Amino acid sequence: MEFMSPFAIVLRVVIQFTPVWMAMAVLLTISFLFKRRLGLYGFIIETGTGFAGVSILSFWLFTAIFAASVAPFDPLGQIVSMKDALPGAIEANSGLPYLLGGDKLARDVFSRMVFGSRIVLIIAPLATFLALSVGIMLGLPAGYFGKRIDAFLSFLANLILAFPIILLFYLLVSPGILETPIPYALAGFFFVFPILLLFTLFWSGYRAHPKQLALRLVLTLLAGGWLFATFVFDSDPFHILRVSPSTLNIFAAVALASGPGIFRIVRSLTLDIKTREYVQAAQTRGETPWFIMLWEILPNARGPLIVDACLRIGYTTILIGALGYFGLGMPPESPDWGTAIKESSRLMRAFVHPALPPALAMMSFVLGLNLLADALREQSLKD
Amino acid sequence: MVEPILDIRNLSISFSTRAVEIPAVMDFSCQVMPGEAMGLVGESGCGKSTVALAILRDLARIGRITSGSIHFNGRDMAKLSEHELRQIRGSEIAMVYQEPMASLNPTMKIGRQLTEVLFIHERVTKEQAYGRALDMVKAVKLPDPERIMGSYPHQLSGGQQQRIVIAMALLAKPKLLILDEPTTALDVTVEAGIVELVKELGKQFGTSMLFISHNLGLILETCDRVTVMYSGEAVESGPIRDVFGSVRHPYTQGLFRSMPLLGTNRNSRPVIPIPGQLPLPHERPKGCHFGPRCSHFVDGVCNVSTVAMRSIDEANTHHSRCMRVEEIDWHAQPEAATQTEATGAGPVLLNVKGLKKYYKAAASELFGGREARTVKAVEEVSFTAREAETLAIVGESGCGKSTLAKVLLGLETATEGTARYDETDIQSDPIERRDTKLISSIQMIFQNPFDTLNPSYSVGSQIIRTLERFGIGTSREERSEMMLNLLDLVKLPRAFATRMPRQLSGGQKQRIGVARAFAGHPRMIIADEPMSALDVSVQAAITELLTTIQRQSRTTMVLISHDLSLVRYMADRIIVMYLGHIVEQGTAEQIFAPPYHPYTEALLSAIPLTDSLAKKRKIVLEGEIPSALSPPSGCPFQTRCHMKSKVSGSLCEQVVPPMRDLKEGHAMKCHLPSEILDQMTPVIS
Repeated sequence: MEFMSPFAIVLRVVIQFTPVWMAMAVLLTISFLFKRRLGLYGFIIETGTGFAGVSILSFWLFTAIFAASVAPFDPLGQIVSMKDALPGAIEANSGLPYLLGGDKLARDVFSRMVFGSRIVLIIAPLATFLALSVGIMLGLPAGYFGKRIDAFLSFLANLILAFPIILLFYLLVSPGILETPIPYALAGFFFVFPILLLFTLFWSGYRAHPKQLALRLVLTLLAGGWLFATFVFDSDPFHILRVSPSTLNIFAAVALASGPGIFRIVRSLTLDIKTREYVQAAQTRGETPWFIMLWEILPNARGPLIVDACLRIGYTTILIGALGYFGLGMPPESPDWGTAIKESSRLMRAFVHPALPPALAMMSFVLGLNLLADALREQSLKD
Repeated sequence: MVEPILDIRNLSISFSTRAVEIPAVMDFSCQVMPGEAMGLVGESGCGKSTVALAILRDLARIGRITSGSIHFNGRDMAKLSEHELRQIRGSEIAMVYQEPMASLNPTMKIGRQLTEVLFIHERVTKEQAYGRALDMVKAVKLPDPERIMGSYPHQLSGGQQQRIVIAMALLAKPKLLILDEPTTALDVTVEAGIVELVKELGKQFGTSMLFISHNLGLILETCDRVTVMYSGEAVESGPIRDVFGSVRHPYTQGLFRSMPLLGTNRNSRPVIPIPGQLPLPHERPKGCHFGPRCSHFVDGVCNVSTVAMRSIDEANTHHSRCMRVEEIDWHAQPEAATQTEATGAGPVLLNVKGLKKYYKAAASELFGGREARTVKAVEEVSFTAREAETLAIVGESGCGKSTLAKVLLGLETATEGTARYDETDIQSDPIERRDTKLISSIQMIFQNPFDTLNPSYSVGSQIIRTLERFGIGTSREERSEMMLNLLDLVKLPRAFATRMPRQLSGGQKQRIGVARAFAGHPRMIIADEPMSALDVSVQAAITELLTTIQRQSRTTMVLISHDLSLVRYMADRIIVMYLGHIVEQGTAEQIFAPPYHPYTEALLSAIPLTDSLAKKRKIVLEGEIPSALSPPSGCPFQTRCHMKSKVSGSLCEQVVPPMRDLKEGHAMKCHLPSEILDQMTPVIS
């Protein structure tokens, strides 16, 4: 077997990412030219942390978009001669190298890392958005109405936080539960929240404009219908996604793990903002409570919430990987980083190279999110 | 020749921002002699706090002194090292800030914070430090000093906290005490006490003082000399009698004219607000900064080159920065002094009888309280309000005026009594059950302009939302047009419709608040301290606006305030409240003339006057406002009343006084016999 020199490997990796570099250059140049007009984003780009965070995240975003051009091989394709190949091994037939080596099932580690970004960049933010909807829909009334509702919801949140979450994950995974409709019911329950959030948002805010209200409600119902069809019933009408019960469980797991934390944040922000005079002004106008919560209070809570969401996407990425150890999560051949690490962990003593690229990829992604969250926090303090 | 303790010469300070360097203070000069109190007057944004921070060299990283010098006790402050500065701060120069709660560490006991000052700056033993701290707590006239030394800041009231901060500042016997708006956050009678204290301590310890404020009356009472600042420059300075008695700068003259003169009301001597706006720091006009707003402006003279500060009397004490100081006739009457007819009041709109609001303060909601204590926020209140009339509710914090407003608006429901609004009883209708017509008919103008608008939406969209909510207008274009008309009504440019609240100044935001309140054509407006957060000249403008709109639309205004000079200016009838009770009510003339209820007398005496010729009887109340959880037995005011001795026996302590009718409409709750009441002399003459 022939190998490339280490220098050649590095050079070739950098060249493979060319579409990504070009896209990043375009994005960052436009950002700098128009930074005055881009509001919050403009401020973030100017700070060192913000710029670093945006660069890293845009790198992975464009990698996910251009994955097919960047990766030389199919992430699931196996070439038997390349099993456990060391980095730089050149494949005999096509002459193309496995740039970062091959894993125990003879797949290209580099291509898997590149395609894994697609899954991570879709699932982690979506799952976090789900948890965010749950937290917001429960946190706002708890903070605004107070008293009994608050006592009940806080008690529930504390209960979930106190419960050993790993036990819950094992339960979700056990074959007896997988055969029952419980995973579907649980996921269905959580997926109601984003739909409810959008529904209440439009219903309370567009009452005076019946036509716009109708349009928005119909769109929400359609989106909600697609969501349910794809995720809960695994019958995507557009045939883009296939969602197995174990993938579905990821969403349920993330909602349970992250929901109470977001609930707490939203509740305390609501308690603070509720005392402001513009909320009182809205009350003297006779606005309904949900209007005040969603249209007066929530927009002013966006600073800390955005920061928290950024960090949470990072935690969710790690959680998806960790879930793999329970058999909960993506199917074992999925190239997403957490699963890739888990799959290569068994032979790590002998062959360390399959585990490193996805680990470094995940590390850089979470770092990018943390840097962005830091820059956002600095900005929200100034506001 | 005595050296000044603080000598600021031609000081210029600039702040560096993302885009450009912005000058905050330009060519500012000021001398403070030992033992003297210098006042620094100006409105928000004029740079007075920046000067104070620069004296202590406490400018943030982005602020720099670009030219000029500050000499303290002969030493150039700019040349001192950090170590030397630390020795000066706190021990030779001390500072008292506006918010007492923010100046005290909430986790440390008061005694520890006080002794900390001594440990840092002097070598003392613990006993010595404790003893000196205790003496200082007594010197600031706080009752029960030992208990206070052992309490935490949150256990004290605002006035007590500020006294502690002053004690901390004076402990190390500084040569210069800088006070930056020390009483703005406090109630009127508490403010009077603090001002008395500061004057006495200044004389007692011989400390020089730099008193920064926007309240001209306070400066008149406490200071020997005054410097007036406008847009980063000192425009006039001199001894108090000279500056207040013979004004020599158009801005200072404009300030005096924009304040209500006690003894007159809005019909006989309307206030004349200073036209225009404060220039933005990077858009200052060439030449005189006040030029564009000055009624004596002459093109070619005033806007040619920078105007220097010149002395205008032989003794070289009175200075002014005006090009035309000798040419202007300073005694001429202002042009816009038109008198208006008083609007006749219409039929009774609001009739309140025996209204009570009690709150239950239980220990815990979920698990049941033991003995639920009641806060008696409003006790048996009865009054009427007519159409096109202005009714003022006066009182300090804890008197129940905000609770009364909430009951009228529907944010709370009354415990007992009736409030009849135009044929409907509204006291038990919470806002959720009121119909849109009633809601749009009673609206409110809020106190804090910085919080009254939602920061996430543009100003125009917030007015349009109000119109939408009240069902006014049928299409988006119609509502847009109405919104623009409302902006015209409050004299704001139409371009403001797309601006965000943070791009507006306090006064402009308050105008939007007024526009929003009048959007639904209300018949009754409740204005909750609408001016207290605004500057003097802006107050004048908003006051003018409100009186004009009210005259045109014949709206009833319920004005809640603690500012008696504003109340005298605007109100037809006044209600004075104390701890939930109405202690006196009547027309404005009746309230401001004897016979007074003792509390009204004290409130009147606490108003800082700007007229240097008027004389005022001084009545300073002892103690603090009692807590509403445990009100005093009998008359609520008896714990602080200075006339209690004139009532025989212990009637005041046992029986709540009944409401006595004195003349037509004038009533008060007091046990004082009629002879004593007839003998009362006016507080202000």
